[in-house]
Amino acid sequence: MFVTKKHLSRRTVLRGIGAAVALPMLDAMVPALANAPQKPLVKLGFVYFPHGAIMSQWTPSADGKSFELMPILGPLEPFKKQLTIVSGLENKHASGPTHAITPGTWLSSVSPRISHDPFGATTADQVAAQHIGQDTPLPSLEVSTEEPIGGGACDRNYGCSYGATISFRNPTTPLPMEFNPRKLFQRLFGQGDTPEERKALAAQYASVLDVVAGKAAALQKRVGPSDRAMLDDYLESVREIERRVQKMEANDLSHIHLPDAPVGIPNKFEDQMNLMFDTVALAWQANLTRITTFMMAAEVSNMTFNQIDVPDAFHALSHHQNNGPKLQRLQKVQTYNTKIFARFVQKLADTPDGDGSLLDHSILLYGSNMSNSNAHDHFPLPAAVLGGGCGKLKGGQHVRYPDRTPHSNLVFTVLNRAGVPVESLGDSTGEIAEV
Amino acid sequence: MPSRQTLTLSIAVVAALAIGPAMYFLHRKPQPQPAELWAQLGKYCVDCHNRDDLTAGIAFDKMKPADIVHDPEVFEAAIRKLRGNQMPPPGSARPSPEVRDSLVHWFETTLDAAADHAPKPGRVALHRLNRTEYANAVNDLFGLKVDVAALLPKDDESDGFDNIANVLKASPSFLEQYISAASVVSEMAVGNPHAKMDSRVFYAKPGANQNYYHSGMPLGTRGGMLVEHFFPADGAYEISLGGLARARYVEGLEYRHKLIVAIDGKEVYANEIGGPEDLEDVDVHQAAAVAKINGRFQRIKVQVPAGPHTVAATFVARTMSESDAVLEPLVPGGGEVGIIEGEESPLKIERLQIDGPISPTGVADTPSRKKIFVCRPSSEAEEQQCAHEILAKVARIAFRRLVTDEDLKTPLEFFATGKLAGGFDNGIRNALMIILASPEFLYHVSVPPEDRAPGTIYAVDDYELASRLSFFIWSRLPDEELLKLAEQGKLHDDVVLAGQVERMLADPRAESLATNFGAQWLQTRKVVEFVPDPVLFPEGNPDLNEALAKELQLFVKSVLLEDRSVLELLSSNQTFVNERLALHYGISGVRGDQFRRVTLTDQNRFGLLGKGAILMATSYPNRTAPVLRGQWILDALLGTPPASPPANVPAFPENQEGSAPRTVRERLEQHRVNPTCKGCHGVMDPLGFALENFDAIGAWRTKDRETATEIDSTGELADGTVVHGPVELRKALLAKPNQFVETLTEKLMTFGLGRSIDYNDMPAVRKVVREAARDNYRFSALLTAIAESEPFRYSTSPSADGDLETHAAATR
Repeated sequence: MFVTKKHLSRRTVLRGIGAAVALPMLDAMVPALANAPQKPLVKLGFVYFPHGAIMSQWTPSADGKSFELMPILGPLEPFKKQLTIVSGLENKHASGPTHAITPGTWLSSVSPRISHDPFGATTADQVAAQHIGQDTPLPSLEVSTEEPIGGGACDRNYGCSYGATISFRNPTTPLPMEFNPRKLFQRLFGQGDTPEERKALAAQYASVLDVVAGKAAALQKRVGPSDRAMLDDYLESVREIERRVQKMEANDLSHIHLPDAPVGIPNKFEDQMNLMFDTVALAWQANLTRITTFMMAAEVSNMTFNQIDVPDAFHALSHHQNNGPKLQRLQKVQTYNTKIFARFVQKLADTPDGDGSLLDHSILLYGSNMSNSNAHDHFPLPAAVLGGGCGKLKGGQHVRYPDRTPHSNLVFTVLNRAGVPVESLGDSTGEIAEV
Repeated sequence: MPSRQTLTLSIAVVAALAIGPAMYFLHRKPQPQPAELWAQLGKYCVDCHNRDDLTAGIAFDKMKPADIVHDPEVFEAAIRKLRGNQMPPPGSARPSPEVRDSLVHWFETTLDAAADHAPKPGRVALHRLNRTEYANAVNDLFGLKVDVAALLPKDDESDGFDNIANVLKASPSFLEQYISAASVVSEMAVGNPHAKMDSRVFYAKPGANQNYYHSGMPLGTRGGMLVEHFFPADGAYEISLGGLARARYVEGLEYRHKLIVAIDGKEVYANEIGGPEDLEDVDVHQAAAVAKINGRFQRIKVQVPAGPHTVAATFVARTMSESDAVLEPLVPGGGEVGIIEGEESPLKIERLQIDGPISPTGVADTPSRKKIFVCRPSSEAEEQQCAHEILAKVARIAFRRLVTDEDLKTPLEFFATGKLAGGFDNGIRNALMIILASPEFLYHVSVPPEDRAPGTIYAVDDYELASRLSFFIWSRLPDEELLKLAEQGKLHDDVVLAGQVERMLADPRAESLATNFGAQWLQTRKVVEFVPDPVLFPEGNPDLNEALAKELQLFVKSVLLEDRSVLELLSSNQTFVNERLALHYGISGVRGDQFRRVTLTDQNRFGLLGKGAILMATSYPNRTAPVLRGQWILDALLGTPPASPPANVPAFPENQEGSAPRTVRERLEQHRVNPTCKGCHGVMDPLGFALENFDAIGAWRTKDRETATEIDSTGELADGTVVHGPVELRKALLAKPNQFVETLTEKLMTFGLGRSIDYNDMPAVRKVVREAARDNYRFSALLTAIAESEPFRYSTSPSADGDLETHAAATR
């Protein structure tokens, strides 16, 4: 039973004396370091785009330090010094159904079990969240730009879980990705208008959590073992939120200029993508989280891109059949995605953070878990690492590894550079030392 | 012990088993003997499924007929593979249809007899309300309609449905959203006289036609936007419209238009836009004039009482001689010019914003407040008693069972805290929030009787039965009658249960069987989001998608709720169209936006196979997809879905620029040449070919657009039956009614139980089909038989090592 003495006493206090008195106690429960100004810590972003890339338009022809960016990565030209492109990678664990397990295995490199009930592996972002995400209010943030589509992102053998998210908290718990900018904003900054209101709401929230936890625990005693496991998830979630509420209490947002909460999902997809990226930048700036997964479009997205004269549905177009005009239009979409991403990178570069910019303290993995979308290949994968990484990243290079080097080597390296103490990830065989 | 019926049956069954399976064939004409049939397995199956090769882990040479009942997993799979002609694989020697049918029959009757003797009702995991159920429950409790998509995360799906217990997991972000929903909903229900200024923006669907009258709008109008908004308090609100005049030419701005804003159908504001003055102003002053014109429709101040109200902003229709409608392009439905951004588009409303309340004055007696406040304390002394009364009533419905004082302890504590901070109403709001956040509301709790050993079968109690029924048939909470019957312990009575099923089916709430179950079963939820290639299909627009979805919903509803034979889903000549859809289908004499029942004369449109929603959902934006259509028929209608494609399918060569185009059929021919593909595509593609006369948006065609050749709609069923076009395909499917009804039953039970249907359930599925067959497959017969089935009324007490596996294994 996890309801500790601490929780019970807080509940008693809240009920007995009223919320305001309980707050100092909440503060007291927060580790002291959260309040003290400190050296900026590394931010970790995993940015995924669906449907792979036309590799001939992604991979530079020259290796090493002197290389020209190909069109799809062209928009990242201003950041070339902090950019490392890694070629030759494969993720064989994405093989199987065409799209359905592609997102969910990008950051795990573990083949899921055949079952509709999710059973994959904890993804790299969540491994990082466990190790270096615990001192921010949110250990991690999962963001997308579209509601999961189902259909081709689902599979009879694997269900829909791996197609809807790139983040798994543990092998059996896929994390839903937030695509509503308003909900994302309120989750980050709370519902109240003033700091006092936010505090009062947080206190009320804490008392609700206590009740919910108590009821679930009581229920757990009465139901069968498997149902007990279901409730474990539930209780674990309650505990996690309690921790967040406490951190939120301690977090000083006075130095951040908060815009109004977004009112809903923008009509234009471009605005939506930018708004979600902006909100992530804001969350990083406010030190609400340091780890973020981001899906730039839903898997098998049928979004159309009329704004760049591509009226085709994204997924349908990704089956380009090696047809020249279709390839050109697909390349346009893929370049466009990088352009949107580059705008986010620019924002990070423009945001001061301690002795440098947010970008100087970021490690961004930009890529996909598919190569040639026409064939649903998972080799060679498009993968690029970007940012200063608090001085841990080199940049300015195109690194070519032997064909079919595990993609997890790069993900593992990213974790390593971020200071996550793990020995390996998925099928990784070592690190990409050059990064 | 197990069940009333099974005990009496079991004696007969034991006797039957002793005599041997042959006795089940007595009613049939000459049937091969078991030994003879078993020899067929040796002849056709043992080449792969033997102790050395052990293909799929199966060795028939190690088994004997008596093993059929011991290994239902293998033999249920065999039934499915044989019935779907998926085994033996194409190219190998195959048994004759007679032998195949005899084998299937033998396996089925043997397994069914064994299951009658020892039923395995399975177990449903702890089951969370999903998004749809939550919204409906809130509606049951408070009469509120909430925009659940804005409140809660999308549910994971399994087995084609979004209400499968095992995958409805909890995560911190999920829980946060459910708690925040509890807070939002309780505030909406009680109202908030101190509501903060907030803004909400609604957008018109891009590309939707605004040239005609839309249902629900004031009569005599065209286009515009109609939204439902919840106003949290009485007070002033501001309505702003966007996307009217633009700095470039707007079609129709030369005419004077009257734009009106109406709340609950009553006009609250009117002003003019357009005409020579406005046109000239825009011409001369550009952006400044645009701002001035649009300013007439910014921050329109209105007084609105609290509660849900519809807000309409629309244009007064003009005579057709001064038509507002764009005449080009001349396509059915008056296709849209402004699809590609930057092109001219007609005068319409694209954005509606509501801000407020500004200085709220109180909270009107909204429907939800009437429902909640069953008493009003006249003194402070009465407050506690009244709160108790209010909360007891809500908690009973929310927890769908009798509530005790213990259950009310926490809500009353929250009431006390809330009252202290903001008075009686605020106390009630606070208490409602904690009820909505409780796991007892969010989960269906099935508590096994305490004295049962693991693995024993028990009848679920009447409260759970009430919940199972109501979430199955209505996707909502049990109503008063169900709760009362459960309280009286009468619901499990066979006659009472059947009576309730009948009552529930006759209730309008059963519409969810079409909107919720039907749309998931038929995989048509995505139709509203389908965006056809605007160059190939200029007539495609959101209005068409909505019309197609609506038609399917009304059609399915008419068959199910009018209690017709479910075979009419395939065969019916009835459908529902509005003007837009009638144009699409080539039906004349239908005017206006309202849907109405019509009798089809074109046989190609009969039943599900002729419904545009399905044909669109199984297409790509630029072409038909016989593969998807074949797969859909196999999965949704025949219950024999093909296996997943193998890894790393090579690029599929299609039409290349410069070379002569080929039809989809020709391009897919390569699927069937390659032996790896042929295994499944040999079955899938030819089914889809029979529907090739329907294009990607479900319109009828006789010529292929790219090759300009006649459409060849020759198709083939898995058993070799050759069909030409949808009519023959439909007739071929109807020739085996059992297979369709069995598939529908499986889908209904998956949805009704909220779990995967596996091999242990198949005898129960077949029993339902047999019982329904006696009543000509009327839907009520199907529904009643499911409600009376073992999996629905019984459960298995969980084993100590966890029972997640028992019903997780896939049979296919």
